Amino acid sequence: MVRYYLSGNEAIAEGAIRAGCRYYAGYPITPSSEIMERISVRFNEIGGVFIQMEDEIASIGSVIGASWAGAKAMTATSGPGFTLMQETVGYAAMTETPLVVVDVQRAGPGMGQATRVASGDIMQAKWGSSGDYQVIALCPWSVQEAYEQTIKAFNLAEKYRVPVLLLTEEAIGHLRERIDIMKDIELFNRKKKAGAAPFGTKERDGVPPMPTFGEGEKLLVTASTHDSYGFRKTDDPLIHDRLVSRLNEKIINNREKIIDYEKYYLEDAKVVVISYGFTARSSLFTVEAMREEGEKIGMLRLKTLWPFPDGLTRDIGARAKVIFVPEMNKGQVAGEVRKYASCQVVSFTQTNGEVIYPDTIIEQLRRHL
Amino acid sequence: MAPIKQVILCGFGGQGIVLAGTILSQAAFNDGKWVSGTNSYGAAARGGGCRAEVVISDKPIIFPYVIAADMLIAMYQTAYNKYIARVKPNEGVIIYDEQFTPEETKGLKYVGIPATKTAIEELNKGIAANVVILSAAVEMTGIVTKKSLKSAIEEIIPERLRELNLKAMDIGFRIGKMKSDQIH
Repeated sequence: MVRYYLSGNEAIAEGAIRAGCRYYAGYPITPSSEIMERISVRFNEIGGVFIQMEDEIASIGSVIGASWAGAKAMTATSGPGFTLMQETVGYAAMTETPLVVVDVQRAGPGMGQATRVASGDIMQAKWGSSGDYQVIALCPWSVQEAYEQTIKAFNLAEKYRVPVLLLTEEAIGHLRERIDIMKDIELFNRKKKAGAAPFGTKERDGVPPMPTFGEGEKLLVTASTHDSYGFRKTDDPLIHDRLVSRLNEKIINNREKIIDYEKYYLEDAKVVVISYGFTARSSLFTVEAMREEGEKIGMLRLKTLWPFPDGLTRDIGARAKVIFVPEMNKGQVAGEVRKYASCQVVSFTQTNGEVIYPDTIIEQLRRHL
Repeated sequence: MAPIKQVILCGFGGQGIVLAGTILSQAAFNDGKWVSGTNSYGAAARGGGCRAEVVISDKPIIFPYVIAADMLIAMYQTAYNKYIARVKPNEGVIIYDEQFTPEETKGLKYVGIPATKTAIEELNKGIAANVVILSAAVEMTGIVTKKSLKSAIEEIIPERLRELNLKAMDIGFRIGKMKSDQIH
């Protein structure tokens, strides 16, 4: 184990390198730019390909190309750049291209406040592109987890052939903390099988093996509806339905394996805080302080935002009296919690470009206890 | 020392506040502590009120920002005015550059350090005042060890400026020693 003192953005760059990322294309944007800065220096040392592209659209496009050329590839941006990338996130989902997009969220909408924090892109991450598709979205609460989840993002992208989004926030990107880096970390590489269909499986929810350009296989890649060998099939209802269903079910049917979370004091909790990202630091601080005062309060911390932990939320909602969801947006996850929890759900929102401090959460909770 | 120590450093962008915060947190890291640091970002770091926050703990830190500062290191009047409200009432210590005279809040301890003046007089570099005042604070409070502060400076400061900053550190230790009776 080696111990470092790093910022969240630096840890993401190091996590990507550790995961085997050797291609990065991006366009600088506050508050994510330190990721590309560090990658540009480190790739020089270790031999990766770094390109500063002309914009975010080109960045993610070239990441898709690099992925099909066999590389583990990543780009990083913030809200407005993530918006520009959405069309191509859909392209990646439809072509089952493994890639990682980091969104260091800042205060939006539009250009908003570039140096200020928010968690406003949760729904953009889920619904930003056209049609029905799935992504995986992870959300770290510390510099340590920014490192670990970046590695996990690559593993999941490779395993499920899906775009994986690391939804972090300015407050984590620019936070400096102590992190421990373990020697042994499990890495997953995409499955290959010569001659196998690259876009279809016998199972309704399977993940096909992925060939690489230049290794001798005939390969068509299109985001139009295609059959299992990549031939465009733009008016066959059966093929379209089978493809769209598989793109969704390969994630949804595996959600128990994908979804990660942490439970705190839930055994007897009547009041439950559901929290994620930086805000979960304030939430846990609050929950521990109120526990000491004897309140029956607990917390669920979401480490995975998409796919959403529907079953877990339903279980907690069946036992709790009230669920409290503090967020640096207008209630994006609270709405999701309401879909599954049968108890009262209270949304606390703050969109002033600042983190939510524990005393704010305590004050809000007191009103509902 | 309390298990968690919270420090705010503030001043005018360009005085080296962010750098001083980084040195302090690296020193705490070198001491083997848990530490988290954050600072002004963007335009504020380059002019205007600038701050760095450092939380140092013997245990993992749940909330990584300063909630109530045990120590405020202030190098500029307007920044002091902005951050004084975040100091722990009746307990906090303010260590300020004698370039300005703070309006004192009752119950808090104040120690003035001639940081900029001494940096100009002895080093001909006012810009080294950040390391002078930080080192004086370390000498007076023992928030990090002097050994770790030195190693942090050696790790962070580029070679061409290292000697200057180590001299500034020694000046800070000397002034801190003279003033330490004011804090205990």
